Amino acid sequence: MDLAAAVAPTTLARQRTLPVVDALQPLLPEGGLARGRTVACRGVAATSLTLALSAAAADAGAWLAVVDVPWLGVEAAAELGVPLERLVRVEAADTLSWADLVAAVLDGFELVVTRVPRRVGAGVLRRVQSRIQSREGVLLAVGDPGPLGADVVIEASTPVWEGVEQGAGHLRGRRVTVVSSGRRIPRPRRAELWLPGPDGVVAAVDPAAVPEPVLRSVG
Amino acid sequence: MVTVWCPDWPVVAAGVAGGVPAVVLHANRVVARSPAAAAEGVTIGQRRREAQQCCPDAALLDHDPDRDARAFEPVVRAIGRFAPRLDVVEPGWLCVAARGPSRYFGGDEALARQLVDAVHGEAGALATGVGVGIADGRFAAAVAARRAGRVAMVVAPGGTPAFLAALPVAWLHVVGEVDPELVGLFARLGLARLGDLAALPEGDVLARFGPAGRHAHRLAAGLDERPAGGAEPPPERRVQQTFDDPVVALDPLVFTGKHLADRLVAGLSGEGRVCTRLVVTAETEHGERTERAWYRAAGMSAPAMVERVRWQLDAWMASGELSAGIVLLRLAPDEVRGDDGDQVRLWGGPSAADERAARAVARLAGMVGDQGVLVPAWRGGRMPGDRYGWVPASTTDLTDADDTAERLRPRPLDGPVTPGGRGAGATIGRAGPWPGALPAPAPAVVPAAARTVDLLDADGRAGAVSGRGELSAPPAALVVAGRSAQAVVGWAGPWPLDERWWDPRRHRRLARLQVVTADGAAHLVLAEHHTWWIAATYG
Repeated sequence: MDLAAAVAPTTLARQRTLPVVDALQPLLPEGGLARGRTVACRGVAATSLTLALSAAAADAGAWLAVVDVPWLGVEAAAELGVPLERLVRVEAADTLSWADLVAAVLDGFELVVTRVPRRVGAGVLRRVQSRIQSREGVLLAVGDPGPLGADVVIEASTPVWEGVEQGAGHLRGRRVTVVSSGRRIPRPRRAELWLPGPDGVVAAVDPAAVPEPVLRSVG
Repeated sequence: MVTVWCPDWPVVAAGVAGGVPAVVLHANRVVARSPAAAAEGVTIGQRRREAQQCCPDAALLDHDPDRDARAFEPVVRAIGRFAPRLDVVEPGWLCVAARGPSRYFGGDEALARQLVDAVHGEAGALATGVGVGIADGRFAAAVAARRAGRVAMVVAPGGTPAFLAALPVAWLHVVGEVDPELVGLFARLGLARLGDLAALPEGDVLARFGPAGRHAHRLAAGLDERPAGGAEPPPERRVQQTFDDPVVALDPLVFTGKHLADRLVAGLSGEGRVCTRLVVTAETEHGERTERAWYRAAGMSAPAMVERVRWQLDAWMASGELSAGIVLLRLAPDEVRGDDGDQVRLWGGPSAADERAARAVARLAGMVGDQGVLVPAWRGGRMPGDRYGWVPASTTDLTDADDTAERLRPRPLDGPVTPGGRGAGATIGRAGPWPGALPAPAPAVVPAAARTVDLLDADGRAGAVSGRGELSAPPAALVVAGRSAQAVVGWAGPWPLDERWWDPRRHRRLARLQVVTADGAAHLVLAEHHTWWIAATYG
């Protein structure tokens, strides 16, 4: 009965794509993170982009595991909208290979952020890819996806920081040009985004807006 | 209805003798404990630390429902031989229709003795304290089983309301699967005993507490023999799957079971109903068959059904009596009741994703060690990387909202929650002053150890920050070891910081600069001990 479907709470488990923030939706082919896929974020804002991509899905109830990314800034994650109560960090150990670790993490977590090691065997990669698909999770690679290959590659370039001049102000926001390309995207899509914006929010750049002047002390 | 209850079955399934203190943990909480551990004061629901304080040499075991189900299977089979109409609620707890077997064995007490003997016959001396309760309804029988000692507790026919009236309302939560918050509410409103609750008119209870309250009221009054609004579901509601190639592995069967369960639950919820008693049947090519009824008072969700399918098939396949692959899997709802939305908690409570993550964390901690699986915890500070530290996940209960709030205090959920991020104000504003901290945005890349760099002015000389916090000359280039020099296009600061001047070990005196280089990168650069460092990058 359709009424039951409309009234039932939409659990994340039933959806084929995980939500992303509005500003990033135009960059992804399904308007969200399709389950079973890999998305790589490259370029100068790789870490921030990865966190921003995962924020809405984690907010909706998915758990986020960060594997082998020891430099993750938790405060930045919180500002970008990642709920810290569903964030877990896993560090690599000598006893376990990266691929085995990611496979084990995918068992319990729908969102996995990791960096792909440069040297990984082809068979190992295939195993990881099939695990991503069978567990219906999403793998977000920080930096170059390397031999793993990503369905969507998002690259941020030409960053322009606002708020800082020669000895005055402080960093307030950054404008970047974000381009998404890949197997699922026949024509690369681009967007101008604040990452993060002056109010801390990831948003599309409004071309008509006037930038805030930097205050400088004169006396 | 007869209920057979084996207390702390997970400990028995793990093969622990009664005299050895042992504790079974799930998500950092005690799920079952051996009699020796119970004697030391370990209770169910305690946190791991508290349990270890009560009983330091208790062996810690992981919660493994599959192992429990496998160990319970022979017991179920043994009882099924003389009491065919049985259903299992969970490993360690099963219900049997009493009338037929009771007549056959000549009385309720004789039947109870048979049941206890059957349990001991299969589980051996490990299963201590097996309780048998006989009463008119399931709830009363379950309570009686838990209160029974060596002798079965028999509630006379028709005496159920009187039996229940004197018992505290906490039983609703322990046995009846009523929301513990609702039970707490009853207690706070002065309904301390089941009899108090049963004395209220049903209409008033429904009006005040909703369908969940009415369900609790029926349980308390002993009226739960037939589920409210229940009816025999039409046989079309059965879902089954036949396999052309016989299946011998467990995982594909469970996968199929998941699809069947989803279909079944979707079909039932479309009619506004939920299944309370499910019969799972599987057949092999050679005609061997397993058929088991599973009961759950609160109704079964699809994951709960899949879990029971897994238990049943795993135990059956491990029993070794299969000679061929499985060709048929069928799920048939035997009893349904109106869906009050009891399963979906409107607020709070761990979701399926929470439980799954908690289980994965426990498994990962076993693989990479406790220090390899970390969660953020608030510490407070001014430098990037100081505000939040990392603590081992095994020291917290990830599914407990209070635990998590405590760990992440101050809660960043206050303030308007915008989809694009909570914004700069939320985390910092609630944190208290921390004067001297840099405003948002926070850097995304915070390496564990700061790297030394060279910050040169236009003449190529290293810049320096005076004691007064003034830069010797504007920086012009930033040189990171191993990379080419980057021209500095913008900078701000220096902001001096003199932290913990009273503590000689932790005293830090430094100056911070935000530096933007020509390639668009922004760094947080420190001058400390007459050297320049990159503390973090705004990546």
